[in-house]
Amino acid sequence: MEVTRMSSTASRTYLDQFPAEAKVIKAAFWSSFMALAIGGLLGLVQALHRTDVLRFIDSADYYTVLTAHGILLAITFTIFFLVGIFTWAVTTSLDRGVVDIRFTWAWYIMMVVGTILVGVSILGGVVDAIPMYADVLFTFYAPLQAHPAFYVGLVLFVVGSWLAGADWFRTWWAWRKENPDERIPLPTFMALTTTLFWYLCTLGVALSILVFLLPWSLGIVDSVNPLLTRTLFWYFGHAVVYFWLMPAYMMWYIMLPKLSGGKLFSDPLARVVFVLFLLLSTPVGIHHQYLDPGIAEGYKFIAMTNTMFLLLPSLLTAFTVVASMEHGARQRGGTGYLGWLKALPWRDPVFTGMALAGLMFAAAGFSGMINAGMNINYLVHNSWWVVGHFHLTVGTAVALTFMAAAYWFIPQVTGKELWSRQLALGQVLVWFVGMTFMSNAMHRAGLFGMPRRTAEPQYQGFNFDPAVGTVGEINAQVALGAVLLTVALAMFLLNMVLTSFNDDSDSLPANTYAGTLSGPEDSPAVLDNLKLWTAIAVVLVIVGYTLPLASIVESGGLFGPDIGGFQLAIETDPALVLESVREVMP
Amino acid sequence: MASATEQRETDQVREIGHEEYDPVGTAILIGIYFLILVLLWLFMYFVEFLGNGPTVVGALLTVVGLA
Repeated sequence: MEVTRMSSTASRTYLDQFPAEAKVIKAAFWSSFMALAIGGLLGLVQALHRTDVLRFIDSADYYTVLTAHGILLAITFTIFFLVGIFTWAVTTSLDRGVVDIRFTWAWYIMMVVGTILVGVSILGGVVDAIPMYADVLFTFYAPLQAHPAFYVGLVLFVVGSWLAGADWFRTWWAWRKENPDERIPLPTFMALTTTLFWYLCTLGVALSILVFLLPWSLGIVDSVNPLLTRTLFWYFGHAVVYFWLMPAYMMWYIMLPKLSGGKLFSDPLARVVFVLFLLLSTPVGIHHQYLDPGIAEGYKFIAMTNTMFLLLPSLLTAFTVVASMEHGARQRGGTGYLGWLKALPWRDPVFTGMALAGLMFAAAGFSGMINAGMNINYLVHNSWWVVGHFHLTVGTAVALTFMAAAYWFIPQVTGKELWSRQLALGQVLVWFVGMTFMSNAMHRAGLFGMPRRTAEPQYQGFNFDPAVGTVGEINAQVALGAVLLTVALAMFLLNMVLTSFNDDSDSLPANTYAGTLSGPEDSPAVLDNLKLWTAIAVVLVIVGYTLPLASIVESGGLFGPDIGGFQLAIETDPALVLESVREVMP
Repeated sequence: MASATEQRETDQVREIGHEEYDPVGTAILIGIYFLILVLLWLFMYFVEFLGNGPTVVGALLTVVGLA
């Protein structure tokens, strides 16, 4: 069961083992951190603006800031970090480098060029000298329209990520030739299954951009079907959340047990979880459209059923990861029903950051169940609740895990010791506390109907009616939380920058990941049959999406009933918006 | 299995194998989590239904003639 083979490379860092790959990974991490720095700061601007604590931007520009915050954090920060982690995972677990490092640099540079195009076109919303605009929010579907450069940038970024996936597959194929009878090592298995559903789900957004949004933005076609572009966006838009989450899951499965002092409880269970995500991540997107007219309730019900099935791999993960941590704690001398919790290495920022991120994810599990239920979703749809929810998932489960992981990875890929472990420990705690304030208050505000995506949720002649507390108290908690999160962000970036100025260290830990209590030999070989799982995933997508898409095209036309686009921040007169709000508010 | 799997933790005071390990603490924590979920679901019932506004379930019951 347990593997005891010692590697000749076991005492070496990743930089010692794979110096060429370490450079690409370091570059990807820094691209990710830059996006985090800019996007995070813009988050503070929004939180202070919305809550009316400090308003120094025009409210029409709020949507430019919101777009940059969403795209830079949800797409750029997460995916750059992911490609770094997955490249590490594939090369480390296969114990071989990538096939051609030039190819690896090529996809990284392609992603960077895409990001710059996207970033500059968004910046055009507030800088007059840039003749571009992209105030389309993270959910970039019609009728909001962006400059063509925004869509071209997104295409380059996504194609770059496809090539990264191809790189991991090539590396695995090369390894398989040399090791024809071996099971796929778990980290590589995780990277490959995640890549497969990424290919599947990004087909939707590629179709949306290349066939509809880009030609529409270029003036080649006059109109689009907004519901069709929304549906294609959400076809991608829910799977993308698992794309962010899978590297965090990978860290919880293969790093947390090791950091706890134990072994992964079950390799087969981990494989089952990743197969389930491959199968179920994509045919669920319609659960973001429960309130969209034009999609029949029956299709929404199918999407809800698939979504509820998705709880299964997350609950399996909760069990497996906590059981692995308990194993570590007991090996470290922990005893009792819950006393073992004290034996965990809480002074290690990498462990504590990931464990707190997992705890937040458990809370997000509840708000996610509310979002997923068709009837209760109506209560919270488009309210601040949803923002609270995804700040627990991508904003903490993913972001905090990534930051904690960076405290281990940056030394591994640079050969330099972390500048301050104390600062790192403080940072993960401040993030956790800040998010507790902010996210909890957002959830509560959503329950009494405070809208999301709104620069000024303060209305004349209307007051929100919280069941408990006051709007002022909720706003204060959001502002306080946002300030704490920004402080944590600064602490993180400071530690990263100062680490890169450290001298090279000889005392870094070896580049290893967790062993297993129950290894792949305990699971059926069919789990590694990626072709089979991909085929089933495709069938589920066809079942979940063919009829809704056909129905949308039939009722609204492929290019829509003559829907022109508009640029949100430039053409919207705030007075008109206020007027229309007054009309609908009692 | 790859060669880079962790061999031994320095703080380890005893080795617990697959057969002798019983994750009872995990079962307790997961049990507490489920209890919290159930309580929150009960709470949501009050948030959702006590306003007496229209709900999907209400509409469905009307459609099938139950209400």
